[in-house]
Amino acid sequence: MTDVSTAEPRATEDKPTRRITSLEVLCVLLVVALLGQSWLTSWLDVGSIQTGATIFVAVCVQALPFLVLGVLISGAIAAFVPATALNRLLPKKQAAAVPVAGVAGVALPTCECAAVPVARRLMQQGVPTSVALAFLLAAPAVNPVVLVATNVAFPNNPEMVAARLVGSLATAIIMGWLWARFGKAEWIIERALRRLPEPQGRTRWKLFFETSRADLVDAGGFLVIGGLTAAVLNVAIPRSWVDTLGEQIVLGVIVMAVLAVLLALCSEADAFVAASISGMPLLPKLVFLVVGPAIDVKLFALQTGTFGRSFAMRFAPATFVVAVACAVVAGLVFLGGIG
Amino acid sequence: MRRETQNILLILAGGALLKISFTGAYLQYVKPAHLPWLVGGGLVMVALAVISIGRDLIGPRPERAETPDGTHERIDTPVDQADAAVTADPSHAGHDHGADHEGEHNHSARSAWLLLLPVLAIFLIAPPALGADSVMRTDNSAAASRASGTDGRSLFPPLPQGEVISVAMSDFAARAAWDSGDSLKDRTVRLTGFIVAQEDAVYLARLSIACCAADAFPVKVKLDGEGTSALENDMWVEAVGQVQMGTATKETDYVPTLTVTGLSQIPQPENPYEA
Repeated sequence: MTDVSTAEPRATEDKPTRRITSLEVLCVLLVVALLGQSWLTSWLDVGSIQTGATIFVAVCVQALPFLVLGVLISGAIAAFVPATALNRLLPKKQAAAVPVAGVAGVALPTCECAAVPVARRLMQQGVPTSVALAFLLAAPAVNPVVLVATNVAFPNNPEMVAARLVGSLATAIIMGWLWARFGKAEWIIERALRRLPEPQGRTRWKLFFETSRADLVDAGGFLVIGGLTAAVLNVAIPRSWVDTLGEQIVLGVIVMAVLAVLLALCSEADAFVAASISGMPLLPKLVFLVVGPAIDVKLFALQTGTFGRSFAMRFAPATFVVAVACAVVAGLVFLGGIG
Repeated sequence: MRRETQNILLILAGGALLKISFTGAYLQYVKPAHLPWLVGGGLVMVALAVISIGRDLIGPRPERAETPDGTHERIDTPVDQADAAVTADPSHAGHDHGADHEGEHNHSARSAWLLLLPVLAIFLIAPPALGADSVMRTDNSAAASRASGTDGRSLFPPLPQGEVISVAMSDFAARAAWDSGDSLKDRTVRLTGFIVAQEDAVYLARLSIACCAADAFPVKVKLDGEGTSALENDMWVEAVGQVQMGTATKETDYVPTLTVTGLSQIPQPENPYEA
């Protein structure tokens, strides 16, 4: 194997002087926080800030275990699934492999946070980027847990489940095909795609623990950014303006799509929130359900951290447009007109 | 960021998850069914960090040249292939200074610091469950239609027998608005919730969550009776009374009115939310 660290000499970076290490910074931060606790608590004793803090902690606490599951799966793929085995499972032609990956999303019954590290690992193992991206978009939306939750939230409209399934799957497959046609590998930062060497014997476990741990540290920070954004928006956006839309279908679709991005709800819960908005037709609610798991502020933060900014800046808006279009078409087909 | 710092951050974050799981504080943030996820996630985070620390302590490391700030520079031996595979990826390597010089990596290395935010929030601030502020932020009309999952009237199952029956707030609001069988008529109910004083009216409110507090939505019942005006926001009470039939209409945003015959202040329930 080639050792990258020897290929890139870092001698120029070595400094003889002693630097402050991150460990010392951490200790100072902790001590300062402990000393300032009472001041912090009193500063946070304002209604809106307290509500925001609770939502921030809730989003982090809710999503972290799913991220942990994601990095474990990702680490297991890196260590125990040879790249050749993955490619044997998938059809040779990319155009055919994309839908297969979309349907395979059924097998990852979690929120969207788990899908990002897994998709990245699939790319590293030599799965075509378009195929991994189709999996990334499909997994959070088409898995059984989410579909059952949707059914529970819309007991009188079972067609919502079918419409959501088809709309989300179509989004994933179309984005996969679009990437296969127009996507450029250089948009994704190089380290996200760098192949890991095939591990042997005992080093497999080492690799499993190391990749899981490193992925978790990497993605965890971005999850926190996403949680912070979602909390601020949750407090800042008055939900009442959704209510004033009433029957205006086009405006409703646009507002619900934007809201899905800004609120960054867990895909297992968004159906209940959509169902709660009274006096709105089903179509905008469906748009909310299809857009949310495909792209929201939390996912955008995770994608930026995992695949790089130039990827996320292109992929996220494209996903948004495709998801809205797919949701509208699925709605027209399954909900019969504007519902 | 150094590996040691990363590991400590992981232990702190995992420990925070475990702490709220065992103290029961997690109920202020997520639904009860989430507990196994929190315990599992917390244990794995701590385990990953401990394994990493253990391997750094006892593992063979003569092949690593230590720079003054503890950075591992070169890994050449085949024994450490797996390490090399990971540390060859600069974002994962323990380079404090690497982050400063290699543009695209620094955001990745630095972002890990943010893990400290939820840790500090949980250990030092421990944000309370959502309350009156959150209710006033959300629109009123959501509750009733959501709770019944329907937009039309339907027949609800009969309420249990008894002089005074405990009913969940969401069930009460749904029955008041949508029950074609009028099962609440002339029944005395006991409701548990917190007080929201809003626009000259006093409401009893409860938040329901489907997954976590981010998707909380309120159920409100207007209180009508002696002594309700003295109640303050976020005070938890048990209210006993009867519904005023026909008060949960479109004009009132489907918020029913309860004629209160008894009020008692209670401590916040272990699970502040309704499912």
